[in-house]
Amino acid sequence: MEYFIYSLSLLVIYVGLAQLMHVQFGLLGIPNFGVVGFWGAGMYLTGVFNVSLNMPILLSILAATAIVSLVAWALGRMILDRSGQAILCATLAFSSIIGVLVISEKWLTNGVRGLGTIRYPFASSDFAELGFAIFILSVVIAIFYVSIRLRDSRLGRVLLSIRDNEELAASLGKDTSGTKRLIFALTCGVMAFLGGLSAPLKQFLVPYLLSPTVTFTVWIALVLGGKGHSFGSIVGVVLTVGMFDILIETYLPLPPEYAATIQNLKLFFYGFLLVAVIMFRPAGFLGAGRMGAKPKHATSTTKQEAAS
Amino acid sequence: MQIAFDSVFIGLLEASPLILAAMGFTLIYYLNGFINIAYAESITMGAYAAILFNVVIGMNFYMAIIPAALASGTMSVAVYLLIFKPAMDRGVQPTEMIILSVGVSFMLRHALVLLVGADNRYLVEPEIKYLSFLGQGATNLQLTALVLVALIALALSWMIYRTSLGERMRGLANNPELAAASGINPHRTSVAIWFIAGSAGGLSGVFTGVFSAVTPMMGWNTILIVIMVTIIAGIGSVRGAVLASIAAGVLTAFITLVTKPLYAEAVLLILFIGILSFRKGRMA
Repeated sequence: MEYFIYSLSLLVIYVGLAQLMHVQFGLLGIPNFGVVGFWGAGMYLTGVFNVSLNMPILLSILAATAIVSLVAWALGRMILDRSGQAILCATLAFSSIIGVLVISEKWLTNGVRGLGTIRYPFASSDFAELGFAIFILSVVIAIFYVSIRLRDSRLGRVLLSIRDNEELAASLGKDTSGTKRLIFALTCGVMAFLGGLSAPLKQFLVPYLLSPTVTFTVWIALVLGGKGHSFGSIVGVVLTVGMFDILIETYLPLPPEYAATIQNLKLFFYGFLLVAVIMFRPAGFLGAGRMGAKPKHATSTTKQEAAS
Repeated sequence: MQIAFDSVFIGLLEASPLILAAMGFTLIYYLNGFINIAYAESITMGAYAAILFNVVIGMNFYMAIIPAALASGTMSVAVYLLIFKPAMDRGVQPTEMIILSVGVSFMLRHALVLLVGADNRYLVEPEIKYLSFLGQGATNLQLTALVLVALIALALSWMIYRTSLGERMRGLANNPELAAASGINPHRTSVAIWFIAGSAGGLSGVFTGVFSAVTPMMGWNTILIVIMVTIIAGIGSVRGAVLASIAAGVLTAFITLVTKPLYAEAVLLILFIGILSFRKGRMA
């Protein structure tokens, strides 16, 4: 039961991360390949504040979130006005930098020996774990609520217009750079918040947790479910993390020597799925959703109008 | 002064695999206009093919380099024909192409692990002699590798700037319709370039592997630096890739000498983000 709550909490965190990527990439068109960097920075900073500075866990999470949001804002200022490829490389580089710092700054993170133990809030209570899982769930529900409301709002339409034709949006007087920076900093901050929530789940932080597989899993879930659909992230995460990490790894009666093979088979299969979806169903299982569909002829005429 | 000399010396030795990888990577980027993360697996594949010919079959190390490079080039062409070309024909955008290539990379890497296991493997080197050179020690193997890399780099650069294949490639990259109209066979040229690029990556893997170990993650661990060097050098510039690789190698050696080795990577990546940010307009 305890392990089931742990797996489910982790699954919900992945759903949250994928939903944030839906906002960044699906709505706004920012290909953030540094998910593990923002999530991991939030997790490690929470750990450092909580263990080394003895700050209460919830306060540690908030402080970590604030710091990562600021860093994301600064990073966004540097690179968000570049092309998608440049953003992708820069965010990937950012997550590598975090990975390096976590290992090299031993005085802060204890390096490969690990940082711990991080306890649940109200750890003395009998329902600490369950309560924390419910808290994580409500955070992710809030992320969904805000992102769906965002989509239908004025700001949401600005985001879609930036994704589809940034020059046009700028020429209509929208502050496209400022909007991108703001949304990027906020969503990366929430990634860090989810990272902070993961810290008590993991209890003991080691650099190995920040492997690029995290970013990859979030991306495969997003692309699989449908990057433009509001519920694509749920479908994607259930089909990937839910199927493999929970169903197969926990409940299939496999001999322990297969554990490593299953892990490799899983990542092979993720890669295969990603290739198949991009080739044959680029919009994902759920499609683009109501407002995600890009009317091709419409954009070309607006471009002509803008030119004339 | 000594530290400057040491940095250049060590940097040159360390940069030699990076030079090859960056040269190959930049060709694909230039020709097809997307960042091919799966290029990492060309590097890994070269090293594992060298293990096959050198350790399993028992060929001499220098002899095994050739089939290893050919195997890596063949894999590169196969991936191009089976996945990347169909995807480009379907009109997949550059950003999605990168995501696709990440998928390909995971697929190939974990297929490899499933086949041969994740353990480190070691190439059987020819006899090692230590040579002293102006106060710096180097092995005969390191110096041979450096000379070999220099020769291969010269040959590649001659091919790109002086032969008709290079001209066809540049024509295709700049204006595919015009190139096709003037009688360039886009298919054959692309296959040739992907083969050459894959072979260069494979060679890079062999030279990385012989100085340390051959692991399934070796390509993935270098690909970010390869991308970085290529973008800084200017996409499609083979000579630029050589210079930027050497600069990265020397800088890494210098930072390693004055502080911790781990900081070298972090500093390079921070510099990279800074350069991306200051270069307006162009892709990078």
